[in-house]
Amino acid sequence: MMAGADDNVAEQNQDAALIERIRGGERAAFVGFYDRYSPLLFSVAARVLGDRKEAEDVLQEIMLVIWNKSGDYDPQLGTLSSWAVTLTRNKALDRLRARTRRLRLIEEAAILAEDSDATSYPSANEIVHGRERAELLRDAMKDLPADQRMAIELAFFTGLSQSDIATRLQQPLGTIKARIRRGMLRLREQLGGVL
Amino acid sequence: MIDESMQEQAAAYALGALDENETKAFEVSLRVDPELRALVRELRSVTEALAGTAPALEPPAAVKARLLLEIDDRRPAGASRVQNVPIGAPAGSPGRAWIPWAVAAAMALVSLAFFWQSASLRSQLTAQAGRINELAASAELARAESADLRQTVAKLRESNRLASFRIALLDSLLAAAPRTIAVSVWDNERQDGVFIVRNLKPLPSDKDYQLWIIDPKYPSPVDAGVFQVDAKGNVKQDFRAKLPIQTANQFAVTIEQKGGAAVPNTKAMVLAGS
Repeated sequence: MMAGADDNVAEQNQDAALIERIRGGERAAFVGFYDRYSPLLFSVAARVLGDRKEAEDVLQEIMLVIWNKSGDYDPQLGTLSSWAVTLTRNKALDRLRARTRRLRLIEEAAILAEDSDATSYPSANEIVHGRERAELLRDAMKDLPADQRMAIELAFFTGLSQSDIATRLQQPLGTIKARIRRGMLRLREQLGGVL
Repeated sequence: MIDESMQEQAAAYALGALDENETKAFEVSLRVDPELRALVRELRSVTEALAGTAPALEPPAAVKARLLLEIDDRRPAGASRVQNVPIGAPAGSPGRAWIPWAVAAAMALVSLAFFWQSASLRSQLTAQAGRINELAASAELARAESADLRQTVAKLRESNRLASFRIALLDSLLAAAPRTIAVSVWDNERQDGVFIVRNLKPLPSDKDYQLWIIDPKYPSPVDAGVFQVDAKGNVKQDFRAKLPIQTANQFAVTIEQKGGAAVPNTKAMVLAGS
């Protein structure tokens, strides 16, 4: 676990140095960021959208935001990569909402993508963090009670509000909020040495 | 100490699950509470780990090439980080006659370096262009296959507008298999149909794909038989439903144990469409 924490500090330092160079307009720094994180961001966009072509467009848009508006990044609120993941997820959801006809199917697909068959594919974490850390992350997710994991995944990958999730799962809003809180705090605890 | 209500908001904020007003209100608290900021920072790392559970996909090389072209195009002409050093000496300044020669020599060296770099870049660009063309051709092929099927479906729909046929295009639900596509043609009068699939991943021998028809008359999807695909992931198969179908609203395909299941495993749905 300590090695994971050390790796993480090193990664954050690399991120901080990287964003400074990107802010300075250094093309090589931007290419370094792209090479490191584009598989993660592309995978997130593809999972949200269920469409690889649209995911390419989202990746390109987000990378341009990172190049042109890296000043918007606030290191106090998360790592550079977590900021980029949030931007990607939000941009992909904007597109998804634009084509509401497919929304219901994609919502279901978001959950289904975690099905038994999907585990035969390597996760994006494996590309970014390596197999060992990816397995720790996946195990932590699998250890989560199913109701907590479902609420968290619906919130993140489908963009449903907590109220929408409550309606969809036919649970009181307070229950959904508590599931998300407990699940997220539990993951934070379990992944403390890895993140 | 952060209370449960704020923890709930922080968790939802990190996931992007707060609505606009809730987000604004929470960000006010966030600005004045360093402990809350620290919590959000940690929870955002959790969110990133969650995001990373998505099936891994490498973006095509063409995306990077397009992106770099775009940022190069958008760069202002003076964006170079190389400092401009004054190279001319004031006119008539004695004892500095060597400067123009030194500058000329330096320029010659720089030109040589540029020539060498340019040759190297040209070679890299040629290789990249080849790769981009290759990828574009592959993407074009996938798009053409998909377009062909869609066109066929459109024509069938047109020609059978008055008939009892139900023609559905099923899209892949797996981000890792976006090229997978299927068409189901259902004849409601005859109560049978034809199912065509392209690029679906072959299954291990202990599993089958199972086709389902969603008819609002029934509380759960109706079994329409199992199938396997060939090594290329293709199949064309006749099928019948296990129950009389009144309205075939939607079709779906799941992965089931060999021989199929009585009810679909919705967590293993790979194709769906109407």
